Amino acid sequence: MDFYIEDYLPLFMFAALGILLFSGYPVAFILGGIGLAFGFVGMYFDVFSFIQFFNVVPRIWGGIAENLVLTAIPMFIFMGTMLERSGVASDLLHCLQVLLRRVPGGLALSVTLMGTIMAATTGIIGASVVMMTLLALPVMLKRNYNIPLATGTIAASGTLGILIPPSIMLVIMADLLARSVGNLFVAAIIPGFMLASFYMLYILVLCGFKPQLAPPLPEDEGPDTAGGILLLVLRSFIPPLFLVFLVLGSILFGWATPTEAAGVGGAGAILLAAVNRRLSFAVLKDVLERSALTGGMLFGIFLGATCFSYVFRALGGDDIVIDLVESLGLGSWGLLLMLMGIVFFLGFFFDWIEITLIVLPVFSPIIGALDFGDHVAPLEVTYWFAILLAVNLQTSFLTPPFGFALFYMKGVAPPQVKIQQIYKGIIPFVLLQLIGLGLVMAFPDIALWLPRVLLN
Amino acid sequence: MELLIRVSDTLDRVIIKIGKVAAWAGLFLILVTIFDVVTRRFLVLGSTKLQEAEWHLHVVLFAFCLGYAYLKDAHVRIDLLRENLSERTQWWIEVAGCLLFLLPYCGLVIWFGIDFTQRSYATQEISASATGLTHRFLIKAVIPIGFGFLALSGITVLLRKLIELFGPEDLRKRVHDTEEAEVEHLDDIVPPELREHDGNTRDGEPK
Repeated sequence: MDFYIEDYLPLFMFAALGILLFSGYPVAFILGGIGLAFGFVGMYFDVFSFIQFFNVVPRIWGGIAENLVLTAIPMFIFMGTMLERSGVASDLLHCLQVLLRRVPGGLALSVTLMGTIMAATTGIIGASVVMMTLLALPVMLKRNYNIPLATGTIAASGTLGILIPPSIMLVIMADLLARSVGNLFVAAIIPGFMLASFYMLYILVLCGFKPQLAPPLPEDEGPDTAGGILLLVLRSFIPPLFLVFLVLGSILFGWATPTEAAGVGGAGAILLAAVNRRLSFAVLKDVLERSALTGGMLFGIFLGATCFSYVFRALGGDDIVIDLVESLGLGSWGLLLMLMGIVFFLGFFFDWIEITLIVLPVFSPIIGALDFGDHVAPLEVTYWFAILLAVNLQTSFLTPPFGFALFYMKGVAPPQVKIQQIYKGIIPFVLLQLIGLGLVMAFPDIALWLPRVLLN
Repeated sequence: MELLIRVSDTLDRVIIKIGKVAAWAGLFLILVTIFDVVTRRFLVLGSTKLQEAEWHLHVVLFAFCLGYAYLKDAHVRIDLLRENLSERTQWWIEVAGCLLFLLPYCGLVIWFGIDFTQRSYATQEISASATGLTHRFLIKAVIPIGFGFLALSGITVLLRKLIELFGPEDLRKRVHDTEEAEVEHLDDIVPPELREHDGNTRDGEPK
């Protein structure tokens, strides 16, 4: 067989990407630059022509600009940022602490619950873990919580946001896999809450046996009359919960598209901030600017990845990937495990934004062709795959020594928290994640039952 | 060198200003969406125009904030190895990145983006839907313009790195301080007054 180097250009593209990303130059521009550079290399080998670069622009136009699904993303980012700035998150944490003050590990449980509720609004791993660490860790340290327990709880709960809808990651996955955002959101609900309940069960059991790990709050913390507690709940617990149910519910029951629901969520967050008396022109301006920066970052990678994957395809990348995969001779299960392995490994170094935008376009032709017989109906494979991917990514962000979330946590934690303690604390949660992943893999109905019941 | 600083500072101010103004498109996006949702329930208005306005605002928002995000250092970097490199090496990487990746990539999108916009203008393209918005070339032009701002932000960063690499000590320090002041830090996400919410104090009420 003849060897032509130009047949392997897409592989070199990936190799170049893998190496250059570690230069620390922004991912968005490396993606675009490599796409351009390999287009020129392809021109040298006569397998690409300059005019083909024109196609990048219509692809940006059709895929990113003229796309009402992706229009949800800036509004979800705004909603999350506004809720953080409006003090809703810290009020919520405080209220949960008061409610759970007599339960073993009450503070840790309230962190998990807050993570679950706020998960519905945030979703960039760096941002949500940083927010949770800054809000919860000082309180837990002050109460002499066991440090590994505290950090493990925060990191695991802070990363739930990518799984529990409305999650920006699921919007992007649905868009890339050409599936319905609403369905994917619904599919993620049970797996997300299952993981959250695993965490809580673990905390309850552990703190039940070893109360010294989690000293309770003093009895006089918070209001002591039933009326006072009720008022606290009404003021800080119900509003964000209501907002989340409004957003999710309107999608679930088909009242609104995810984009419209995102608009409702954004407006609701402004309203909550106003009710909390934390809305001012300065806050609104700050939240808008911050959200714009996050959006610029996210769509920057989206644009770069569009250029990269267009050139990758034009150079025959799809065929190479399919050939490679076929030459491995793996069945559908083997392929699934291999893809999961790749994504898990990438999760050590990259946030989901890069992984989803680089890996999914490359592998989406394979994903559609996976066949699991009676285990998963062919029409539902993609949804199941996306949920597995989401749980897998979350696990990867938590796994030492390279877990992405752990570094962010270390970056903002007080100096007495050592990275070894963070590693030690996360291990039980990683095990819980693996159990969850195994369960969704073995019993696809955990993800697929709810959409079937609600939407069909 | 003085001149380079003045050029980079001016570009910087302009691009950040544009980003900050474009950021308000986010608010309009929410307002338009809400208006669409509410009016569709109660009145029978065509919402095609509103929905198209939504993604128009989305385009304005992301395209005009690309350069703004670069100057604020908000674009994701893989920091794993970078942290171990000397400052000089990092500056060199930034120079190489701007020259080899960012600027050619922007050039590509601008070049073909203008072409794309001109085709739209030449055919006086309007929405495919009869009740949609007209003048499609206006919004199509936003993409090359946005990449133009991104390229200008790349030039700003490039000039600054060159000053840091080759300039005299005092200018180097000045540039460094400007950059430091602009970068968004991670822990800015949660403002100090919201941290460690302990006890039931609220808005300065006594405990």
